[in-house]
Amino acid sequence: MSVFPSTAASKAAGRTAATRSKPRGQRTAYLFIAPLGLGFAVFYFWPLLQTFYFSFTEFGAFGGHTFIGTDNYLRVVKDVTVWQALGNTLFYSLIGLTALPVAIVVASLLNRRGLRGVAVYRALYFVPFVTLPVAVGLVWNWLYNGDFGLLNEMLSRFGVDRHYWVSDPSTAVYAIGTVMVWSSTGYYLIIFMAGIKGIPRDYYEAAEIDGAGALRRFFTITLPLLSPTIFFASVICMINSLQTFDLIYIMMAEKNPAIGDTQSVVGLFYKWAFIENAQGAAAALAFLLMLLIAALTYLQFRLQKRWVHYG
Amino acid sequence: MRRRTLLGGALAAPLLAACSGGGGGADGGGGTTLSYGMWDPAQAPGMEKIIAAFEERHPRISVRIELTPWASYWTTLKTSMRGGTAPDVFWMNAVNFQLYAAGGVLEPLSGHIEADATPVDHHPDSLVRLYAYRGTQYGIPKDFDTVGLWYNKALFDKAGIKYPDASWTWDDLRDAAAELTDPRRRVHGFAAEMDRQMKIYPAVCGAGGFILEDGRSGFGDERSIEGLRFLTDMIDRGWSPPQSAMVESVGRVRYWSEKVAMNYDLSAMAGQMYAVPALKDHGGIAVLPKGRRRATIIHGLANVISAKSRKKAAAWKFVHFMAGREAAEIQAKAGATISSYAGTQDAWLKSMPEFDLKHFIEMQKYAVPYPSSENTAVWENLQYPLLGAAFSGKGGIESAARTLGEQMDRALEEERAS
Amino acid sequence: MADTRKRGKRGKRGMRGKRGRAGSIATHAVLSLGALVMVFPFLWQLLTALKTLAETSRVPPTFLPDKWNGASFEEVFTALPFREMLTNSVLNTVGRTLGQLVFCSLAAYAFARMRFRGRNVLFALFLSVLMVPSSLLVLPQYDIIQGLGLLNSAPALFLPGMFSAFGTFMLRQFFLALPKELEEAARIDGAGSFRVFWSIMLPLLRPALAALAVITAMWSWNDLLWPLIVNTDPAKMPISAGLTSLEGQYETNYPVMMAGSLIASLPMLLVYVFLQRHFVQSVALSGTKG
Repeated sequence: MSVFPSTAASKAAGRTAATRSKPRGQRTAYLFIAPLGLGFAVFYFWPLLQTFYFSFTEFGAFGGHTFIGTDNYLRVVKDVTVWQALGNTLFYSLIGLTALPVAIVVASLLNRRGLRGVAVYRALYFVPFVTLPVAVGLVWNWLYNGDFGLLNEMLSRFGVDRHYWVSDPSTAVYAIGTVMVWSSTGYYLIIFMAGIKGIPRDYYEAAEIDGAGALRRFFTITLPLLSPTIFFASVICMINSLQTFDLIYIMMAEKNPAIGDTQSVVGLFYKWAFIENAQGAAAALAFLLMLLIAALTYLQFRLQKRWVHYG
Repeated sequence: MRRRTLLGGALAAPLLAACSGGGGGADGGGGTTLSYGMWDPAQAPGMEKIIAAFEERHPRISVRIELTPWASYWTTLKTSMRGGTAPDVFWMNAVNFQLYAAGGVLEPLSGHIEADATPVDHHPDSLVRLYAYRGTQYGIPKDFDTVGLWYNKALFDKAGIKYPDASWTWDDLRDAAAELTDPRRRVHGFAAEMDRQMKIYPAVCGAGGFILEDGRSGFGDERSIEGLRFLTDMIDRGWSPPQSAMVESVGRVRYWSEKVAMNYDLSAMAGQMYAVPALKDHGGIAVLPKGRRRATIIHGLANVISAKSRKKAAAWKFVHFMAGREAAEIQAKAGATISSYAGTQDAWLKSMPEFDLKHFIEMQKYAVPYPSSENTAVWENLQYPLLGAAFSGKGGIESAARTLGEQMDRALEEERAS
Repeated sequence: MADTRKRGKRGKRGMRGKRGRAGSIATHAVLSLGALVMVFPFLWQLLTALKTLAETSRVPPTFLPDKWNGASFEEVFTALPFREMLTNSVLNTVGRTLGQLVFCSLAAYAFARMRFRGRNVLFALFLSVLMVPSSLLVLPQYDIIQGLGLLNSAPALFLPGMFSAFGTFMLRQFFLALPKELEEAARIDGAGSFRVFWSIMLPLLRPALAALAVITAMWSWNDLLWPLIVNTDPAKMPISAGLTSLEGQYETNYPVMMAGSLIASLPMLLVYVFLQRHFVQSVALSGTKG
């Protein structure tokens, strides 16, 4: 199901449109682009330059700033909480990736020939993704609640002891990670359903005639042919998890003893920039985050050659 | 952007000043309206009464309360300072005071105090000093808060233990906590919560340690660690719920619901405690038990004037009025807080006859002022993440405290460097 | 593709036997279990919202409320300026969505159908916005909003979010896919570029615009970091930021928090129920490598 047209066609389209009325056409084109360009200039490109500058300055609490060279970067690198937040964030992206296999399995189950209710299932799985993350965090905090939460109640039936899931430093990251997976599975499900639809039915039928079982078909057809989609989803997943903030912000109260074990890089950025009045260091931190995202994305693109099949 | 802000400010200032009738003497003309920034809605009725009394004295000045919720009070204030729209007079606390004073956005009051003989000496000295920066007074206390021992008489009776009194030491507290803990009913003797003002600072000071002295952190100090261990030990022994449990229902709520027999809590909570029928009936108050020495933490809010205010003369009249006896008495009667003006607390004491509120005032004698520096928030924010594990029964309070001490020292160093 | 499917159905029908039946039941069992996991928290949220505070602190918890009680839903509205917050969320969502539809479609059309100097460079530059984490921009963005005197206002919420690289990219792909004959015919009739864009191209792009609109609406409604920073006045906050203050205020009052979070997520859920097709399409698009 290729939604996007081939680039060859687009080039042709561009050429024909352009051969006409060149000077006037050019001006019109700029007019069409101007509003967006202006918005980008004001709200993206200029701020990007400014943040870069800020990362070398120190802010006065009530305005004004002084240039301090690379001190902010040194502070970021030397700060243990940064490394801890970095570790947590990488951990979240690993946990976040487990949503992919879950989504792939569900997508291939939904791909079963003649299965009824596909649309209903898809709709239900997608609901957590549409829901306000703050609301999701509150609901799960309530489920996880150590004193009155439903989770402890259900587990106690199996003899598991009462536990404070989100405020015990040893379980809090997993508790948050679970919610991340829960709320993003539906998103990847839809991506994979679209991907699987693009695999010709004939392949499955041929395999079936050859006597391949469902499991074998999954591993020899679905997975390899889906690998470009899986790759793309894993890149998106990683970029999103590296910037995670909302859920942790709502789920972790200030005095939560697990706060150091769960704080994400963006969470730390928010604290520095808007609570502790360390905007310069926060800017440096944000740049390091961008470098990290770029590096990991690059790494993924390098590694894809080993496992992604482009048909 | 910055340039535009600057320009905008420069253009707007003379314009606005012209409108209000010229410079600081705005109140000389046809009436001035002051804005008064505060965050606690529970205190608004009392403040309205004080304002009414003030307006009666100064018919040309009126005061309008700007109530900003606590959660956004400081961010809002900071940006309104930058934008020049901050309230003329506003509430200040110890955590933020030095930052604002050093930033030059508070009006120095020493000259005014001297000229008008403002009765600052009637307010607790430790509090007055909290609001002086480099020898200049910038704020005048309006109220104060000490931490006391709240206990549940019914639970004490059930366990057959004598109520706490001024003779109690930490050992007595520990013994009682052990006795009062009843795992079957899920009742704990004490709430050794990870909270700086109510638990950590009083315990550290009670053990003879300190939080901040001469620009140095006290968390690595042996005595300070002893104080912290006093708290974490009760968690380890099961006499207090672990911090992980107190995130989900805080110590105060556990005390309200009679699941905790003893709790350190603020005098400012008296009104809320009084509203809980069970506690009004059998809630008790005592001074904090003695560790190596007697200590509690005292903190109070102050009224300050914005250096960017264009109505400073009127603003001073208001702050001067609030520093006096009349305003203090009105505030005390309103009951929400203890007024800091000596001898005006009777009304507050009488407002809740079932509670022995006088202990909160007694403790003033040996109370340690809330520790602060220029960038208090920075080193305070180090505390909970580092101490969390030790407060949830995972042990390691000593190394956690030392790490905290080192990091806090580093933060203080950075503060001095900037 | 449609052919393949039809052929498959016809060919295989005969081969279906008991095994297929059992497999289908097992598939349904697994899928329903998963669906239950996805939906149950919301059911629990609703049930909790309808209980009293006392009932929620009972051990073991009750499943259905003893007495169905809607008081928490009223309490939310008195505890917070909830009505204003909902309005702010709507303003934010509408502002960003309209902005993106207008600005992105204009630019996307130019990038897809017009030839001008610097087109590729500009397009690459615009796309680079996709790579930048939002945390890298919020500090100066905040300063800009402050400089404009817009802190604590509705425009503060939606201004930066009106411009989107993703939207431009997505719409451009659609413009590229449209047949150029229509456009050329219109031009021969003497229509100007804007006329062609407005009355010929845009209507053809309706499905894509709808897809962009729903996904933008969802991101805007759910956004937290930016509103938390620019609008600190409760009456100016959108509901996402407002809910976080509910947590601080009502530490343990779960019925009120559940009622609040339910009301806050409901509008987007309704949009989803009615416009599901577009949601699915926009996500499928965002995940297809273009």
